[in-house]
Order: sequence, then C-alpha cells, then structure tokens
Amino acid sequence: MNMIEFRNVNKIYDNNSIALRDINLVIKKGEFVFLVGPSGSGKSTFIKLLIKETSTTSGTIFVAGRNISNLKSSRIPQLRRNIGCIFQDYKLLSDRTIFENVAFALEVIGKPNYIIKTQVSQILKLVGLYARMNAYPHQLSGGEQQRVCIARAFVNRPPILLADEPTGNLDPATSEGIMKLLSRINLIGTTVVMATHERSIVNAMRRRVVELEDGVIVRDQARGVYGS
Amino acid sequence: MGFTAITTVAITLFIVGIFSIIVFDVQSLLKSVEKQVELSVYLKDNISEDLKSYLENEIKSWPEVEKVQFISKDQALERFKAQNEGSDILKEIQGNPLPASFEIELKDPQKVEQVALRFVDKDGNNIEGVDEVIYGKNYVRKLFSITAVVGTITLLIIIVLVLAATVLIFNTIRLSIYARRREIEVMKLVGATNWYIRAPFLFEGFFEGFIGGGIAVAILYFINKFLFIKGESLLVETMRIKNLALLGSNNIIIIVYAGMIILGSLIGIFSSGFALRRYLRT
Repeated sequence: MNMIEFRNVNKIYDNNSIALRDINLVIKKGEFVFLVGPSGSGKSTFIKLLIKETSTTSGTIFVAGRNISNLKSSRIPQLRRNIGCIFQDYKLLSDRTIFENVAFALEVIGKPNYIIKTQVSQILKLVGLYARMNAYPHQLSGGEQQRVCIARAFVNRPPILLADEPTGNLDPATSEGIMKLLSRINLIGTTVVMATHERSIVNAMRRRVVELEDGVIVRDQARGVYGS
Repeated sequence: MGFTAITTVAITLFIVGIFSIIVFDVQSLLKSVEKQVELSVYLKDNISEDLKSYLENEIKSWPEVEKVQFISKDQALERFKAQNEGSDILKEIQGNPLPASFEIELKDPQKVEQVALRFVDKDGNNIEGVDEVIYGKNYVRKLFSITAVVGTITLLIIIVLVLAATVLIFNTIRLSIYARRREIEVMKLVGATNWYIRAPFLFEGFFEGFIGGGIAVAILYFINKFLFIKGESLLVETMRIKNLALLGSNNIIIIVYAGMIILGSLIGIFSSGFALRRYLRT
C-alpha cells in the first residue's frame, strides 16, 4: 500500500525561492527511506508539507491514500496524530518530566489516565528509559532526550515516523543507538522517513536513499549509500 | 501564572476606576450646583389676590417645575432682617420695600430660560403683576456650557484610559504567550486541536483579568473607607456636599466596581485569544 505519495509537487515560498520542484515520489508501507542532500535542498520543506505546516504551490500529496492537499485546517490535528515527528532540537517541554512529556501526546487526544499510564510505561521500556520516567529533560543526555522524543512520537503507534536530522546533535555512538531504535520501530511495520546529512549512518544501513538537490530528486536508490 | 499580567491589570484598572469615580463626582457636583439655580419671580406690590393665586396655580401646573414657594412681603422682610442681623442697614429701612416673590425650583435646571420666558409677553414686557424675573442669566449660560464641555472631556478621558489599559494588558499577555511559544508548538506537533490549545490560555486570561480587577477594586474600596472615615464629616459641614462616590457612599461606586471586574475579565480573555492567533495559524 502507498503510504506517502507526492505527485508533481512544487513548492515556491513567498519570496519566489523554489524549495521543491516537480517532485514525484511513492513510499510504500513499511519502508525505511533516507532523504539526503545539502542544506537548502528541500528536505525540511518535504517534511513540512507532509505534516501540513505549509501547503504545496501545486501538485498533490497523499498520505495513506488520502489527499491532504486540500485538507481542512480543522482536520490537520488528526493528520499529525498519525505522523510521529522527531527533530534535531528535540522540542521537549522543559518543565515536565519525561513521563509527562510522552503522556502529553496521549492527553491531547483525550485518552483516559489509566490507558496513558500503561501506554507510556510500555513505550518508555521500549526506548530503555523506564527507570528515569520522573526525570526532567535537562537531566538527561542528548541521546536520552532523543529517545524520549521517539517515545512521544511513537506512543500512539502512528503508521508514519518522520525524523528531521535526529542525530544532528549526537555523537556517533549515541547516534548508532538511535538508529537501532528507529530500525526496530521500522521492523514493527512503521514507515520511516529520515532526513539527514550524516554519511556514516546512511552508508551503514543501506536502505532506500532519495537524494535532493536544489529542490529536485536527483537519485532514488534502493539500498543506497550517501554519495552517488 | 502571569504575576506581571495580574499586576498590570490591577494597576491600569485602578487608575480607570479612580478616575471614573472622580468624574462621576465632578458631574454630580456640577449637577447639584445647577440645581441650586433658582428662578425668582418678583411681584408688583399692587398685585391682586386672584392674580397671585392664578399665577401660583399656573406655575405649579408646569411640568418643568419641581417646587414653587410664595414668599410674602412680610416673610421677605423677616428673612432680610435675619440675614442682616445687627447691621446698620436695618435702621435705614422704612416700611417694607421688599417685594413678594415666587421662588421656583426646576426639575431640570437647564430649562430655566425657557420657563423664565413665560413671564414675558409678546412685546418683551413682563406680564401683569410681575415686576422682575431673576435667575443669574449669564452665570447660568456659562455653567451649562461648562458642564457640557466637562462631560465630554471626561468621557473622552475615560475612553482613552480604558484604551490604554487594554493596550497595556494585551501587551503583557502577549509577552507571556510568547514565552510559552514552545509549548504551543509542541501541542500543535502532537496533534492538539486549536481549541484544546486555546482553552487553558483563555481561561488564564480571564482569571488574570478577574483577579487583577478584583485587586484594583479592593484597593479602591480601602481608599474609600479611609476617606469616608476621615473626610466625609469635613466635607459635609463645610460644603454641604453629600453623596460623593469617592467617599464610598454612593450607588455609582457599585457600578464602577462591577465595571472594573467585568472590564478586566473581558480584556483578559480577548487579549489571550487575540495574542494566540498568530501561533495557531497554519
């Protein structure tokens, strides 16, 4: 099944800068895709379009078979609940424990407390942070914080996980740990799309590589490496 | 939770409140001065009893008239003697040169000229039996134009103060929402609906406005009590002024108190809602 589909997508920002040009791409359910390219190549725009933080200038985007190009604003929250996101800068709430941070994703969709407790505990175990559930983000290392983000992004078992440079602030060893986690999540059946410019990670994993350059897809290779 | 916001609300609303009260008091002072404008109709000595009764009944029947009192020549003389007790002038008087009069009090002092004209015929002469009509013409015109101008100015000042309060409160709330922008961003990211994000902020804005208004009212209340204890007897004796809102003995003050709390709450809610808009747009 096609999980993500871009058809003739163009994105031009207000100042006439072309971010994406004529993008055609299909990502099937369960795939693990690396989105590579230098800064400004359009990786971030790609992700923003997927979570409807911005709209296409032309072309259509399908997520799980649904056309999200003309999605009503009121339906955007629902889209985002089905796409877990993690970022380079974590975006955790500093005044809440990591348990509360992860629970937050379930609170906003109105899950009852007893379910929240169970699900959050489960996911924290999965990422290996159950013992530290009452710690605050600043008390954790970078790698641990990113695990919390992964936990939050995945606690609701969304079909898609988007990662925008998740290992950007981490050392190689810690990055490896994160990538292992993402692999496991992908093995369960989650479609993972990861934007990155870390050669070593891409080369080590040999997954599908989609390379962007100046807003255009210049390479789409199964089991690819970073540079062509 | 927005200590700055609550303080800002309290201070600005306190200023609005105290000014409103001063304004109301100035207005009512002016009104009571207006009320003291009386119309005196001096009668000729040779006026017949019939004509006097007729005039009295006529005047009583006019809708503008609050009260009319007939002062006879004798009564006028007694009054004069009492007011000028011990003065040499009493020795100079022979007989009773003072006229009888009607002292007319009007419901709306601003109608005095209208009523005064009724004692004048088409040719501009006073009607039969009436010697003079006195009401401090120039003084009255000036007074009424003053009260009108003061009324407008004070209303404008209150509007400006309320606007200033709104701007100050809005900015304070906007700053606090800016400080929470990360939280809002995360909420949007995990798929919270706009209303889920808005609701706590709206409530907080309302709460801050409500509490801030309440504090301003409390301060005002204590000031009133203090002034009431110290000042009322003084003012009442020397200036015969009663019922000043500033002293807390007026119904107006309840309206001002309620107004401050309501205004604070409304500004709080709307400021929150409005300041959030830029963060909730997609």
